[in-house]
Amino acid sequence: MAFRGFGGIATSGLIAAAILWSFATTDVEFSRLLSAGPRIADFFGRMFPPDPTVMAEIKKGSAETLRIAILGTLGAVILSVPLGILASETMVSPAVFRPIRTLLAFIRAIPLILVAMLMVGAVGLGPLPGIIAVAFHATGMLAKFYAEAIDGVSRAPIAALESAGAGPLVRLRYAIWPQMAPVVARDTIFRFELNLRESLILGIVGAGGIGFYIQTYVRSFQYDKAASVTIAVVVMVIAIEAINVALRRRFT
Amino acid sequence: MSTAVEVDDLSFAHTGADLPALERVSFRVSAGESVALLGPSGAGKTTLLALLDGRLQGWSGRVSVLGAPLDPDRPPPSARRPDTGFVFQEFALVERSSVLRNVLNGRLGRMSPLRALLGSPTKHDLEIARTALADCGIADLAERRVDSLSGGQRQRVAIARCLAQEPRLILADEPVSNLDPARACEILALLTGAARTRGATALFSSHQPDLARRFAQRIIGMRDGRIVFDVPTSELNDDATAELYREVGPIPGIGLRAVS
Repeated sequence: MAFRGFGGIATSGLIAAAILWSFATTDVEFSRLLSAGPRIADFFGRMFPPDPTVMAEIKKGSAETLRIAILGTLGAVILSVPLGILASETMVSPAVFRPIRTLLAFIRAIPLILVAMLMVGAVGLGPLPGIIAVAFHATGMLAKFYAEAIDGVSRAPIAALESAGAGPLVRLRYAIWPQMAPVVARDTIFRFELNLRESLILGIVGAGGIGFYIQTYVRSFQYDKAASVTIAVVVMVIAIEAINVALRRRFT
Repeated sequence: MSTAVEVDDLSFAHTGADLPALERVSFRVSAGESVALLGPSGAGKTTLLALLDGRLQGWSGRVSVLGAPLDPDRPPPSARRPDTGFVFQEFALVERSSVLRNVLNGRLGRMSPLRALLGSPTKHDLEIARTALADCGIADLAERRVDSLSGGQRQRVAIARCLAQEPRLILADEPVSNLDPARACEILALLTGAARTRGATALFSSHQPDLARRFAQRIIGMRDGRIVFDVPTSELNDDATAELYREVGPIPGIGLRAVS
């Protein structure tokens, strides 16, 4: 009891210290916050009304973002099937799944935008670096999900098929796969949604897609055009979310 | 009469366990017999049945199933496995698959590996599966998904899967312990009846003496991994049953309480 009391006080103290330290060492000045209001108003004023003449660019950019997300997800699925098997406790020994899981955690720790910047440097501008970056980044999560799907399968039906004389491949086909298929489908759709959202901004670093136009218009002070593209992005995100919710309901 | 199961001086310990799960177990089951393994939880019934099904290795002694000796170190060849059918306590069905698909899963060991993998059962396979469904009284559930069924219906599917395997020996591990008493009687009647009409041997475990009495010709009592008694059902007396379920010692917290 005394220990818990001490732990509580220590935790509160640490949180308070962290907040005070952040205020003390960052140049948080309220005068700057106050002057921001008119500037933001000016910003919005220039964005309004949004320029509808950029429909062609929106269509082109959205199509490219969609293609990056589709091919990036495909690449991630192709990489995640073998890596997922190698990261699962049920399929391989700890000597294999432990280093693979560490590798996947490492991949997850690298931000997508950083991978995209590296890829732009490596293969040049356009959608290709975006696709590679998305495939790489998404594998860190998707392979982990696939491994968990394999490990989450109930063992009893596998034993039943073994008892009936079915070989390992047949057991995979009729006892393991039917159990994990909906989880795999749900996880892949979820990752596709994330890929689509994340690839919307890839254009900002030159890795293709609709983000390129936002960056271009903001840099050239064409805020009304930037506003149109931003609205298009928001609409896309909402649409993706709605479709995803509808799809996921089918796989539970 | 030929012998379906012959166990001689069988001992087995799970890896890391202090006590053996089975200790010097010996018994025989004749072909066509219906035998119950009776005993409390932890008596070794599940271990014994899984071992007879060829799913446990690393035991000592001699075990022979349907005339063929089991190898203590490796599973039996897959060609022999369909001859022994198994009904699991928790049904062990693929929940998201249809009833028919689950029953056809019992045929997988009888099909060629390629046919099994491609999932194209022959007319003969389908006919056997349909017959098994009808025998278990669930022909009308064939297209339903298992996760929409009740416990009693699920165990009927599991028995149909076992029958579709065309086994000569049916092993059942606590097949009714998840069911209510009325359902339990129905299922055991179905299981032992189906074995009898097919000329198959049935060996099922139970922790309920009344059910064992009603559906078995012979009862083998187990406790702490050993066989305590092995008698025809008519000779089972209440003392023997009581001995099986006798407490090992005082239960902590209850044993110390004074009884006036």
